[in-house]
Amino acid sequence: MGFEFKSSGSASQLESFSYDDAIVRKFFWATLIWGIVAFLVGVILAVQLAFPQANFLPQVAFGRLRPLHTNAAIFAFAGNAIFTAVYYSTQRLCKARMWSDTLSKLHFWGWQLIIVSAALTLPLGITQGKEYAELEWPIDLAIAVVWLGFFGTNFLMTLIKRRERHMYVALWFYIASLVAVTILHVFNNLWIPVGVVQFLQTGEFGSPSTLLKSYPLYAGVQDAFMQWWYGHNAVAFFLTTPFLGLMYYFLPKAANRPVFSYKLSIIHFWSLVFIYIWAGPHHLHYTALPQWASTLGMVFSLMLWMPSWGGMINGLLTLRGAWHKVASDPVLKFFVVGVTFYGMSTFEGPLLSVKTVNALSHYTDWTIAHVHSGTLGWNSFMTFGMLYWLAPRLFQTGKIHSEKLISMHFWIGTVGILLYVISIYTAGITQGLMWRAFDESGQLSYPEFIETVTRLMPFYWIRAVGGTLFLLSACLGGYNLVMTWLARPKKYEVPVHEAPALSKVYDDGPPPQSRLTANAGIGHAGDRFLQGHWHRRWERLPVRFTVWVVIGVGTASLFEIIPTFLIKSNIPTISTVLPYTPLEVAGRDIYVAEGCYNCHSQMVRPIYAETQRYGEYSKPGEFVYDRPFQWGSRRIGPDLAREGVNNPNASWHYQHFENPQVFTTGSIMPSYKHLVEGDLDYGQIQSRIRALAMIGTPYGDAVKNAESMAREQAKIIADDIRAQMPGFVLPEDLEDKKVIALIAYIKRLGTDIYRTPEPADAAAEAAPAAAEEGGAH
Amino acid sequence: MPHDPQVLDHEYDGIQEFDNPTPGWWHFLFWLFIVFSFFYVMMDFSASPFLPGYKKKYDNAVLAATMKKFETLGDLEPNATTFASFTKSEEWMNYAASTFSSNCASCHGPDGGGVVGPNLTDDYGKNLKKIDDIYTVITKGAAGGAMPAWGQRFHPNDLVLLTSYVASLRGTKPQIAKAPEGEIMEPWPDAPAPVFDEGE
Repeated sequence: MGFEFKSSGSASQLESFSYDDAIVRKFFWATLIWGIVAFLVGVILAVQLAFPQANFLPQVAFGRLRPLHTNAAIFAFAGNAIFTAVYYSTQRLCKARMWSDTLSKLHFWGWQLIIVSAALTLPLGITQGKEYAELEWPIDLAIAVVWLGFFGTNFLMTLIKRRERHMYVALWFYIASLVAVTILHVFNNLWIPVGVVQFLQTGEFGSPSTLLKSYPLYAGVQDAFMQWWYGHNAVAFFLTTPFLGLMYYFLPKAANRPVFSYKLSIIHFWSLVFIYIWAGPHHLHYTALPQWASTLGMVFSLMLWMPSWGGMINGLLTLRGAWHKVASDPVLKFFVVGVTFYGMSTFEGPLLSVKTVNALSHYTDWTIAHVHSGTLGWNSFMTFGMLYWLAPRLFQTGKIHSEKLISMHFWIGTVGILLYVISIYTAGITQGLMWRAFDESGQLSYPEFIETVTRLMPFYWIRAVGGTLFLLSACLGGYNLVMTWLARPKKYEVPVHEAPALSKVYDDGPPPQSRLTANAGIGHAGDRFLQGHWHRRWERLPVRFTVWVVIGVGTASLFEIIPTFLIKSNIPTISTVLPYTPLEVAGRDIYVAEGCYNCHSQMVRPIYAETQRYGEYSKPGEFVYDRPFQWGSRRIGPDLAREGVNNPNASWHYQHFENPQVFTTGSIMPSYKHLVEGDLDYGQIQSRIRALAMIGTPYGDAVKNAESMAREQAKIIADDIRAQMPGFVLPEDLEDKKVIALIAYIKRLGTDIYRTPEPADAAAEAAPAAAEEGGAH
Repeated sequence: MPHDPQVLDHEYDGIQEFDNPTPGWWHFLFWLFIVFSFFYVMMDFSASPFLPGYKKKYDNAVLAATMKKFETLGDLEPNATTFASFTKSEEWMNYAASTFSSNCASCHGPDGGGVVGPNLTDDYGKNLKKIDDIYTVITKGAAGGAMPAWGQRFHPNDLVLLTSYVASLRGTKPQIAKAPEGEIMEPWPDAPAPVFDEGE
C-alpha cells in the first residue's frame, strides 16, 4: 500500500509547520500541581476517618472534602494529564500543529478556572450531591463550553487538518473520550436552577446560594440510573480510554518497539466503546433500580473483561523483546506497573459486578480499594511515566535531573499503593462480613453498627501511611521534574517540520479477496470483513469515525435509558408517599450540602441481614420526590433510609449532631455544631419549592406560603426538643436554627410507607398501617 | 510465536504496528462471556427458577431465618404471663439483648440506664404501670413519636421477647443511671420459666 497520491502535484508540495509545545508544558505543570493537591486532600481524608478530630472546620469536614478529593483527582490531575498527552501526541500523530493556539489557551485557562471554582464551591457546600458530578450548574455550563467548545473543536479540527493519512489507535481513543464525556456530562446534568426560576417569577435573583442551587430534572430511581450511567462511564471515558490512548503513544515510544497487534487494537477499541456504556447499573445491584437494568449491568460488565484486557495485552506484549530495558529504564517500570494495575482492576471490576459478590462488597471499603488500585496504580503511574519521558524532551535538557530519584519515586509509590489497597481490601471485606454475620440464636453478631467501624481503625491508619508515602513519592517526582526544568536552555528551540498536505483523493488500494475456497457468498463477505480493509478506510475519515463512535455510545445508552424512563411498572406508585414539606426540603438541601451521602446510604437492600439491621427494604416508589437521589455508595456510618422510623427522636438528633460521641463511643462522625448554631435562611425556602413545583412536584398550597409552613413545622419540632430536654439550656430561637430543618428531614426518612392513607396529616408519624406489600415478616 | 511477526507498513511518528493475530484464549473468553450473558439474561428475564429474583430470594431467606430462630417457640402470646416467664430464660434474654443493643441502646443506654429515653432499670415508668404497658409502648410508640413504634419492624415474637428483656432490666444496676421519671410501677407478676420440649 503505502502513501500513493493520485495527483502527483500535491505530493511534492511540502508544507512547513512546528508543534506547539508551550501548551503541553502548561498542562504538564498543571498535572503535577493538581496531582499533589489531590493526593494531599486524600491523605487528610484518610486521617479524618481514623481521627475524627481532624474535621476541625465545617468547610473541610469529610462530607465536603471528599468531593473535592475525587474531583481534584479525576478532573484536575487525570484531566490535565490527559490534555498533556493529547496535546503532545495528537500534533505528532497528525503531523500538524494544534488547529488554533487561541483555543488551546482558552482550553487550558478555562479548565484551570473550573478547577479553582470547584475548590472554592465544594468546601462551601455548593454541590449537586451526585458523586463526581457535584459541581453546580454554572460550572457545569463552563465544563461543557471548555470541553466541547474549546478542546473538542480544537482537537477535531486538528484531525481534519492533519498531514498523516491514517489516524493511529491513540487518536481513536481520544475521539471516544471526547464524544462520550460530552454525552455523559450533558445528560447527567440536566437541572433547573432555583435562582433563574425565582428571577423569572419575581424579577429578583435572590441570595448567592439560591442562585447557585439547582435541582435535577430526574428524581429517585431515574436520577440514580442516570447518575451511575454517568459515574461508571466517567471511569470508562475519563480514566480509561484517554489513558489507553496515552499508553498507545508513550509506551511504544519509550520502549522503541512496534505495538503488539493492530488487529487487537481494532477489536478491543470497538468492543470497549460499545460495551462499557451498558455496565453502569452494576453500581445499583439490589437497590430499588429495576432488576432487568441491574442484570444488564452485570452481564455487560462480564463481557467487558476481555475488551479491557485487550488493552493490557497490547501494552504488555509490546514490551516483548524489550524486557531487559524495563529493568534499567524507570519510565518503563512506571508503565509496566501501571498497565498491570489496569489489568488487575479490569478483572476485579467484572468480579465486583457479579450480584452475589456485590451483595458483600457494596457500601464497603472494597469499592474504595478497587478504585484506588485503578487511580493510583493505573492513572497515576501512567501519568508519571509520561511526565518523566516528556520532561527531557519538553524542556530540551536531553536527560532527567536524576534517574535515581525516579527509581525512588517508583519504589516508594509502589509500596504506598500496596499499603493502601491491601489494608483497605481487608477493611472492606472485614466490614462486609461483619454486617452479615449471624450468631447461633439467629441474631446479628454485631448488632451495633459502631462495632464494625472501630474494627477498621488499624486498617485506616495503615491506609493513611500508604497514602502519605504515595504523596511523598509524588513530591520527590515534583522536585526531580522542577530540577530538570531548571536546566532548560534560555530559549527553547522550535524545530520546523515539513510534510505534504493530504490530497483530496486517496486510493485505499484494492479491496481484499476472500481467502475462502468454498462457494458460499456470505462466507466470502465475512472473510473480507475480517480482513479489516474497511476499518483502514475509516481510519483516514475522522468525521465518519467520530459519527460511528457517537452511534456506538448513543445506541448502547438509549437501550437502557428509554425503558428506564418509559416503563411505568419499573416504579410502582405508593399512594402514601408525599412530597417533602418546605422545612424538610430545606433540611434535605442541608443534608446534600454537608455531603452526608459520602458516609451514609439511604437504600436498604432486600437482604435479610440488612432488613434485620435497618428495617423494611427500600421501594422504588419511595423516592419519586428525591431530587437529587441520595442512595449513597459507602456506609462509613449506618444506612439512613429508615432513620425516621427507627429513630424519630428530635432531641436525640439534636444532641447527636452537636456531638455524636455523646451517644456512640468511638463514633467517627464529625460534630455539626455549626448547624446547631447557624440560622436557617427561611427566605430561601419559597423559591426552592417553586422550582420543585415547576418540575412536577405536586405542591399545592406550599407554592404560595412555603415559608410560613416551614416556620410552623419548625416550631413544633423545637417545642418537642424543649419538652424532651428539660434540664438543658437551649437557644431562645431554637426554631430558627439549621439543625431543626435537618431533623425535620431525618424524621421523615422512610416513614411514608407506614403512613395511614386517610387523614392526609403530614405530622402523623409512623402510623401502624403498612402500605404496599406491608411488613415483610 | 517462534518467528518475528510481520510489521505492518503503518508508521506514526515512528510508532509501528505488528500484524499479530489476537490471542486465541482472548477470543475464547470473550465469546464465553457473551454466550453466558445471553443465557443468563434469558433466565433472568423469564423469571426462571434458577434465578428467582431479589424479592423471592429475600422472602425465602426471611422465612428460613424465622423458622430457624423460632422453631422451638412457636407463636408467643403477648400477655403478662408470657412476658414474665421469659424474663427467666437466660437463652432468650441473651437473644433479646441483641435486639435491644441495635435498636434501643442509643436512647436508653447500653444497659438501660437511660439517655434521651427514660431509665429502664428503676421502679418508675413514664408511660408504664404494668408489664403489659412495656409491650404497648414498644409496639405503638409513645411521647408523641419520640419513642418510635416498633410494631411493624419486628416479628411478633421479637416484640414479646424484647418486652421481657426490658422488664428484666428492672432492678439491675446501670453504669450511669438517669433520674427516675414518671410514676412508680406495679411489681411484675411472677411466672415460671418457659419450658421447651427440646430435651426429649
